[in-house]
Amino acid sequence: MVCEQCHERPATVTVTQNQQGEVTERHLCHVCAAENHHIFSLFDQSPFGINDFLSNWLPVQHHPAMSPRKSETVTCPACGFSFAKFMKLGKFGCAECYETFSPQLDDMFRRLHNGHAEHKGKVPLSFGRTIKIRKEIDELRRQMQEAIADEQFEEAASLRDRIKGLNAQLDAGGEADGN
Amino acid sequence: MAIDHFLRNSATSWMSNEGEHSDIVMSTRVRLARNLAEFRFPYAFTDEEAKKVDERVSAILKEDREPPEDFTHIDIQETPDLKRQILVEKHLISPLLAKGEHSGSVLLSTNEELSVMINEEDHLRIQSLQPGFRLQEAYEKADSLDTFLEKKLAYAFHETYGFLTSCPTNTGTGMRASVMVHLPALTMTRQIDRIIPAISRLGMVARGSYGEGSEALGNVYQISNQTTLGMSEHEILQELENITLQLIEQERRARRAILEQSPSALEDRIYRSLGILTHARLLSTEEAAKCLSDVRLGIDLDLINDMDMSVLNELMIFMQPAFLQHYAERPLQPNERDRARAKLFRERLVNDHDKQEGEDSA
Ligand SMILES: [Zn+2]
Ligand SMILES: [Zn+2]
Repeated sequence: MVCEQCHERPATVTVTQNQQGEVTERHLCHVCAAENHHIFSLFDQSPFGINDFLSNWLPVQHHPAMSPRKSETVTCPACGFSFAKFMKLGKFGCAECYETFSPQLDDMFRRLHNGHAEHKGKVPLSFGRTIKIRKEIDELRRQMQEAIADEQFEEAASLRDRIKGLNAQLDAGGEADGN
Repeated sequence: MAIDHFLRNSATSWMSNEGEHSDIVMSTRVRLARNLAEFRFPYAFTDEEAKKVDERVSAILKEDREPPEDFTHIDIQETPDLKRQILVEKHLISPLLAKGEHSGSVLLSTNEELSVMINEEDHLRIQSLQPGFRLQEAYEKADSLDTFLEKKLAYAFHETYGFLTSCPTNTGTGMRASVMVHLPALTMTRQIDRIIPAISRLGMVARGSYGEGSEALGNVYQISNQTTLGMSEHEILQELENITLQLIEQERRARRAILEQSPSALEDRIYRSLGILTHARLLSTEEAAKCLSDVRLGIDLDLINDMDMSVLNELMIFMQPAFLQHYAERPLQPNERDRARAKLFRERLVNDHDKQEGEDSA
């Protein structure tokens, strides 16, 4: 993001101005920021202006069949946000938006999060069990493909049986055997 | 507990001056953003949904919990504007929540170290505040409250994207960890101008509050993580900790250099500022913040020995407009605020023997 004032240096500071209770944010370089005034509210600022980011970001079309126009008009069935509204506001309207706009999100997340697009942190307990099983299945599938490529068919068969067992656990709602 | 408990201008634990590096790191905050799966997020929900979210979360925090922690529920729309501003000035709620655009509230623990904002940008914003440099401790407290809540509430969580938030800059861990650092020497020597861009290249953000001068207000900067997706909470905290430790080391080095090169000039600057804080009759926020920074540095360098640092931490908070007006018990015009601010400093800082002088025109 470029400084809103000089349009030269990169914006490194967010300046919050509070005038008669009206709070405005500006994204400035260190030099321009020094020329502006305002009051303390450091903890309450977001790291950078998502709106500016989105207004400069043109989503990549992952589906050749989907024209740019079409993706703009995709609308979330749960909250009514269109992709265009998401871009303008810089905010999701609900959890379902993430599914609805998912073809566009990978690229956006990679740019926002230092190249990352997949969560690696805490998982709520209720989700944890099923996610763990799915990750295990993915890993076993990978090993099975390797075994097949190496013509280790016995090994592959045993891996296939373990995958079957895990799939059955998933169908049972993630409950482990004996629980 | 009534809201008045949180409006007093007395010290609370997170303003204290405890722990390692507390001469440079003033406070630590960890915030977790969470949403409930069942409801639309605050940019799209109806006021009826907002009320339901508030009721559901509040009911859980009012139940007995292990370990027991007493939460006071403050409804924002029922709270007068000045009291909302005081909570903002104490960093207990955000300016966005204070606007009260829809039903929202804050649940505050008695010692103010934990809070849950309801219906700010996300349904829940769990916030943990600690004095000094305590990233792990602040995270653990937020995390354990989060784990407690998660057992009773179905969070909006996605296998690939993690915790789903209104803003894509928070998606994933939903965590923003920050430290407030006092960097007077790096600011005086202008080294800060190259440090801030360097930090941003490391995926962290450094920011100051800028006043009329070219220096950050009170030489205080906030360092926080920018990335929330693709790194675990532990990795993010570790990186922020490493960067902060490097910053502390550089600030200490710059302080030693100034002290060696121009000891008299530094001592003079510090004592002039102390003189202003203890004798001025009109004090603007800017001037007060600058002088507080100098006096703070004086205490850190053992040039001033008879002053308690935690008093300075408190003054940073209590010198703000809403606090001044609350204690004056009437609205104050900007010039009246400067007068009230000067009086506040004299009362808190002046020694017994010259107290009379401090009170003569008060
Ligand atoms: Zn600029
Ligand atoms: Zn939606």
